Amino acid sequence: MEEYRIGVYICWCGTNIAMMVDVEAVVEEIKKLPNVTIAKDYKYMCSDPGQDLIVKDIKEHHLNRIVVAACSPRMHEPTFRKALENAGLNPYFFEMANIREQVSWVHTDRIEATRKAKGLVAGAVKRVVHHKALNKRYVDIHPATLIIGAGVAGMSAALEIADSGQKVHLVEQCNQLGGMVRKVDLNYPYLNSSRQTISQLIKNTEEHPDIQIYTESKIDKISGYIGNFRALLSNHQEQRELEFGNILIATGLKSFDPSIIENYGYKRIPNVITSADFEKMLYSGLIHCENGKEPGNIAIIHCVGSRNENYHPYCSRTCCMTALKYINQISSAAPECNIYDIYADMRAIGKDCEELYASTSKKNVMFLMFDQQHDLPVIKQNGNGKTVSIEFTELLSGESIHIQANMVVLMTAVESQANNKEIAHLAGISTDKNGFFIEKHPKLDPVATTTEGVYIAGTCQSPKDIPDSIVQAKAAAARILATIAKGKVQVEVTTAQVNEDICCGCQCCASVCPYSAISYNEDKKVSEVNEILCKGCGTCASACPSGAIVSKHFTDNQILSQITGVLEMQIETA
Amino acid sequence: MNYKPTIIGFLCNWCSYTGADLAGTSRQKYEDKIRIIRVMCSGRIEPTFVLDAFRKGADGILICGCHPGDCHYHEGNYKCLRRFHLLQKYTQQMGIEKERLRLEWISASEGKEFAELVDEMSEKIASLGKCMVKETLDTYR
Repeated sequence: MEEYRIGVYICWCGTNIAMMVDVEAVVEEIKKLPNVTIAKDYKYMCSDPGQDLIVKDIKEHHLNRIVVAACSPRMHEPTFRKALENAGLNPYFFEMANIREQVSWVHTDRIEATRKAKGLVAGAVKRVVHHKALNKRYVDIHPATLIIGAGVAGMSAALEIADSGQKVHLVEQCNQLGGMVRKVDLNYPYLNSSRQTISQLIKNTEEHPDIQIYTESKIDKISGYIGNFRALLSNHQEQRELEFGNILIATGLKSFDPSIIENYGYKRIPNVITSADFEKMLYSGLIHCENGKEPGNIAIIHCVGSRNENYHPYCSRTCCMTALKYINQISSAAPECNIYDIYADMRAIGKDCEELYASTSKKNVMFLMFDQQHDLPVIKQNGNGKTVSIEFTELLSGESIHIQANMVVLMTAVESQANNKEIAHLAGISTDKNGFFIEKHPKLDPVATTTEGVYIAGTCQSPKDIPDSIVQAKAAAARILATIAKGKVQVEVTTAQVNEDICCGCQCCASVCPYSAISYNEDKKVSEVNEILCKGCGTCASACPSGAIVSKHFTDNQILSQITGVLEMQIETA
Repeated sequence: MNYKPTIIGFLCNWCSYTGADLAGTSRQKYEDKIRIIRVMCSGRIEPTFVLDAFRKGADGILICGCHPGDCHYHEGNYKCLRRFHLLQKYTQQMGIEKERLRLEWISASEGKEFAELVDEMSEKIASLGKCMVKETLDTYR
């Protein structure tokens, strides 16, 4: 029988863990467990010296199983697996205990948190002896890429990929390219024409020989896995099938409808318009009220639907600067017009944006601050039918303000597309509580998703401006090109496997498999797993009545031992 | 001293475990007697795991998966749901109160909801007292 020699490492994570968990006490307790050869604590296990410590100990003490108790395995499991590999050990002889996100950051009683950490580590120690060596598998990458959404992000990524000679399928639901930017007159902070900016991008995309554009089209189905996806694409005439190796989702966002905010009377009171309405007016070249006359007083209200729990909790990112842009455009088109800018906080993030704020404040404009959380301005229609009055408390002076305006522009929030859930479901990714797609890691990997081969870019991930959208799009393109250049990609190794000696051929497994990865071998009278199609959910293993299916790396033995470890320690140390 | 029940949580990797991690990154506080075990999909959770955890002294079991329609593997959570109803009937026949075994959907963005769920479940089980499965079976052993 194999002798188990386990090395256990408890991370301080600076003070993140050590403040709430007595890491030295955990080490002492764990040392007593069977098969534990060494147990140590260290300031930062994920640092180079931390990883070197593991490598050195594996070689010196002939360790064959490693447990690290630190942050979430979703964070650093790949890091430590790599360290095992560097020491010549199979990376799957490793288990992680999550004592930061699920212990030190969520609990307040140091004794109980330490006890919990001991339990979780004990579970990992019990589990890891049942780990089996798993070998990496690779699949070829189909060099084409599917990009959903032909706005500024989708087109930028498409060009980046196609310019390197790779094929792109660019799918757009509208009848033309350009997305949101096409609806904008000038863009901030330099007040250039948006259409001019984007027309070159559209032209290059349309003329590129390696970009196949499908307008007025939608994706009905996506199947497969990284390197080998297939999609069914349809427009009103036909349905076709596409093959590709990677997916980039760049579906953008839409404007919020402010008519649900009672105070503002949008759609009820004449001359109360949204920023989208105002863009159209600017583009037509004439700022006018409903009676056709030029307004003498214009009020601009910020944060309409943004940064308020009743509507959207987040900042829509671009509206403050867009409002400054309006002030500049109004001042040049109608120099006599008085402008009231009613804001909550002026958010001038980005290159040259604060400078735009500074130069705009010299125009014929009065900046007035309101309480966005508790005291939204009230817009009322005046008896004369020509003007509206806006009433609110100005925060800086504390005074009640009444403004008479001929026109009110509501800086409306932006929100996620209505069909994001559907797209997420098609591509196997998730949306956050605001409907935006969730990135793989908010800081370290903001362009990938939890599904291999599926990337996100632009405003479908969160509100952002044009340069930020392009940055993310090009980053995603670089990631996709890297996999294409490599030609092969590592895929899931924790698949299911049938023990043919035990399998009774009932095919319960095949009936629950969502990927049709299990078939029945008529000759042998047993089920067989196609490991290329299997994604390792383990549903078949749970369904198998005879225990013939092993869900690799999540076997019954491994999980039951973990339960034992966690609960024994819990009861013994109580 | 107030009695606090030991809960074993079986959480799917993609939604619920990530949601629990989010509770951590956003510093939501919750009852410390829950021990979380990660599985790839709630569809992997076998009745054996649940029964085994009760046998080994858990006072409650919380199974969490992705919301309907959000499963990373398309439908593993539905498979889990089907098994859950049968399993709960069975555990009730064994004399384990219904409240001790729960299935809830937690998405990757529901850190706060996860923390509240643990507290709420913990409180409910605390009012029931200790689960006697382990002690009873140990006596007859």
